[in-house]
Amino acid sequence: MDWDENMIQWITGFILLLSSLGMIITKNPVHSCLSFLLSLLALATLYLELSASFIAVMQILVYAGAILVLFMFVIILFQDAYPKIEMVKARNCPVFLLGTGTAFILTLFSIGKKMVSLTPSETHLPKDFGTVETLGKALYLDFFFPFEAVILLFLVALIGSLYIGKKAT
Amino acid sequence: MEAPLMIFISMAMFAIGILGVLTRRNALIFFLSIELMLNASNLLFVSFANDWGDITGLVWVFFVLVVAAAEAAVGLAITVNLFRSKEQVDVDQFNDLKGY
Amino acid sequence: MDYTTYTGLFLPLLGFLFLLATSDFLGRKSTAIVGCGTVFFSFCCFSSLLISYINESLVQESFTLFHWIPIEGINADFTLHLDPLSLLMTLIITGVGFLIHLYSVGYMEHDPDVNRYFACLNFFIFAMLLLVLSGDLLLLFVGWEGVGLASYLLIGFWYEKPIAAAAAVKAFVVNRVGDLGFLLALLLTFHLFGTSNIAEITHRASIEFTLGAPIVTVLTLLYFIGAIGKSAQFPLHTWLADAMAGPTPVSALIHAATMVTAGVYLIVRLHELFVLAPTTLEIIGVIGGGTALFAALAALAQTELKKVLAYSTMSQLGFMFLACGIADFYGAMFHLTMHAFVKGLLFLAAGNVLHMAHEITDMREMGGLTKKLPKTHILFLIGALALSGIPPLAAFFSKDLVLEQEYLLGHYTLFYIGLAASICTGAYLTRAYCMTFLGPSHTPKKIYDAIKEAPMIMIFPMILLALLSIGGGFIGFASGHLSFLEEFLGQVGVTLADLSHRGESLFTPQTIQAISGAFTAVIATWALYTYFGGIPENKFKSLKYLLRNAFYIDAIYFFCITRPVRGISRLIANVLEPKIFEQSIGCTVDGIERTAQRLQYFQNGQIRSYTAWIVVGVVFTLIYITL
Repeated sequence: MDWDENMIQWITGFILLLSSLGMIITKNPVHSCLSFLLSLLALATLYLELSASFIAVMQILVYAGAILVLFMFVIILFQDAYPKIEMVKARNCPVFLLGTGTAFILTLFSIGKKMVSLTPSETHLPKDFGTVETLGKALYLDFFFPFEAVILLFLVALIGSLYIGKKAT
Repeated sequence: MEAPLMIFISMAMFAIGILGVLTRRNALIFFLSIELMLNASNLLFVSFANDWGDITGLVWVFFVLVVAAAEAAVGLAITVNLFRSKEQVDVDQFNDLKGY
Repeated sequence: MDYTTYTGLFLPLLGFLFLLATSDFLGRKSTAIVGCGTVFFSFCCFSSLLISYINESLVQESFTLFHWIPIEGINADFTLHLDPLSLLMTLIITGVGFLIHLYSVGYMEHDPDVNRYFACLNFFIFAMLLLVLSGDLLLLFVGWEGVGLASYLLIGFWYEKPIAAAAAVKAFVVNRVGDLGFLLALLLTFHLFGTSNIAEITHRASIEFTLGAPIVTVLTLLYFIGAIGKSAQFPLHTWLADAMAGPTPVSALIHAATMVTAGVYLIVRLHELFVLAPTTLEIIGVIGGGTALFAALAALAQTELKKVLAYSTMSQLGFMFLACGIADFYGAMFHLTMHAFVKGLLFLAAGNVLHMAHEITDMREMGGLTKKLPKTHILFLIGALALSGIPPLAAFFSKDLVLEQEYLLGHYTLFYIGLAASICTGAYLTRAYCMTFLGPSHTPKKIYDAIKEAPMIMIFPMILLALLSIGGGFIGFASGHLSFLEEFLGQVGVTLADLSHRGESLFTPQTIQAISGAFTAVIATWALYTYFGGIPENKFKSLKYLLRNAFYIDAIYFFCITRPVRGISRLIANVLEPKIFEQSIGCTVDGIERTAQRLQYFQNGQIRSYTAWIVVGVVFTLIYITL
């Protein structure tokens, strides 16, 4: 059983990383979007494993269902512009950029090496950890103010995007 | 064994996101990489919420999700406007705010 | 008591401000009335103070007007100190000052700028009164600088004449050199005593310091340097001869009667301090005696009338310092008072001649003026005889007293130097009189015919001064008992140096020597210039030039000090300033501009580059945190 659980996590993690890599490597933006969808699904599986069921469902609904669809629409809208990118020479020195990226990866590596020896804490999770009910109670009782603030933020974003996306008259 | 694995995956995802931001010239893939970074931090929160049994992590993830959605909407609206006026999607060409 | 003092002190200041404010439209008569009136009222205030002081034998008092600098370690207050010494000085200042104000009314009757003149004169009276009345050294320094400023304003009164302007600047600058000594002494005083209140300092000096302590010697030497500058002693004497370019009443008041005596006053005021430093007193005596002889010799060969009198002032001041040098402070003050009367009279008489002869100053162009200026020539003669030391005129008593004290205390060298200077005094004054008034006239005929006697307003002050010159000596001299002045000043400790021989015979051998020397000098010079027509032009030429140019000291200063300093300032202004200072600033500016231009290329508008730089920053932060 132990082996099984970890195996699932290992495999899911592997799929996740692979699809993320694929996302940034492919030239075709539609393929990129689809890879991102795959990574989102893998992520949702991981969340389920980590007993955050509500968050997993939310992830599928919001990210994969709304944001990704939005991205897909915009990508298809501007599909004529993508070949034009290759025609112009890049204005940034790729060595500098890749060098920075590498430095970052190495730093994360060195930090990660210290984390290997972490032991999991002995806290026993309650049975309904991560369910809608628990999360709902936490949101509406303990974190009500941020909840309302975020709703306001949503409203503002809604109005803003409607206004920005207007056709210029 | 869970926590270190999750941390490793999360850091790898974040690094991949950074590489995507630095490498791709297509503005839309640029945005997508940013979303990838957000997801990486989400994973970290969820894994630690699971480890410590604290519901605050999940609450936080909830808010990050909401904010990411709002930001994607607004950001895409702006990008669409930008594409309409410039007729191209290459981020290297958007350099009007240069200092010389 | 205090209100009277304040009135007497501040009335001339109000006069100055009033005359300045109304200088555009106030008429000649009103200006004269205001100008002279303030000084006269001041004189009345101080006379009444003197009378009440004598009648009720009041004690010395200090009035503090306000606390000026209440900082710990300085504690300077606006304190006025009233005692016999300051009363004497204020009476001299306001009395002689008033007479000279009256004289100026007549002297400046054709000058268009009379308002400024009387304003500056009033300011001078105020500053000098502040100097002598102040009970605090810092306040004294304010008055000290004030009289320097007034001197500058008045010497350069006719500022359109380049000679006058240059002389004014020279006077101020040379004074400044002396003031450096005074300032250093002030700082040292603050360091040693923590206050600059004169009464407190003199009281504590004898308690805290032993006789001959080096620090007191340094302190007194520095004060003496200030006195040298103000009183035109060698080596800071070069300004006095040139200061004659100002109007003659100014020369009479400032450079004969009052301002130049400020140095002597300072030393007498701080005499308890000076008594503790015998080395300084020796130096004072030597410098005083040296200057006396040097100036007397220089005066023998001068051709300008006012310059003779200037060098004579220098010489008499040397006498006063000579007296201070042997701790004979009473002798110094006595001679100061007598000198004020006599020198004032001489200068005013010279002013008469100059005024009437339309500013011919060279004595070789004068002569034969006895019939034209009858009253003036008698008054000049009185002054000349008085200063030469002919008894029983005023200065005989004071000079003789100084010489006597020298001999009695055993300073034989100084005695003979003083005697020689005294004999020269008789010689050059008689020479001046003979060349100016006697003999054939060398003036052009047109000017000669236009000369007439001065108006009464100019003669009257001179008559008063002449009376004082004749009878003034008896204030300070009495045989067998204390004279009035001695008793007056004795209350503040200003006494003769040698108190043991008082009351002895009137005509000691030294007195006989002095009198015979004076008589010989006067008669011999008179004979020389009348019967033999003076020394011929071509004899003793080099000696004449040497003496006339005061041993060329002025020229030495010019070549050794003035020219190098001017050279340095030219160097700085033409080379250092534009080429080095401005260039260096220009280079820095250029460098910064170029660097900024290079740095601009970092902001290229590329998002990816910006993100890369952010990542670099994050990497560094992570490394810093985790290490």
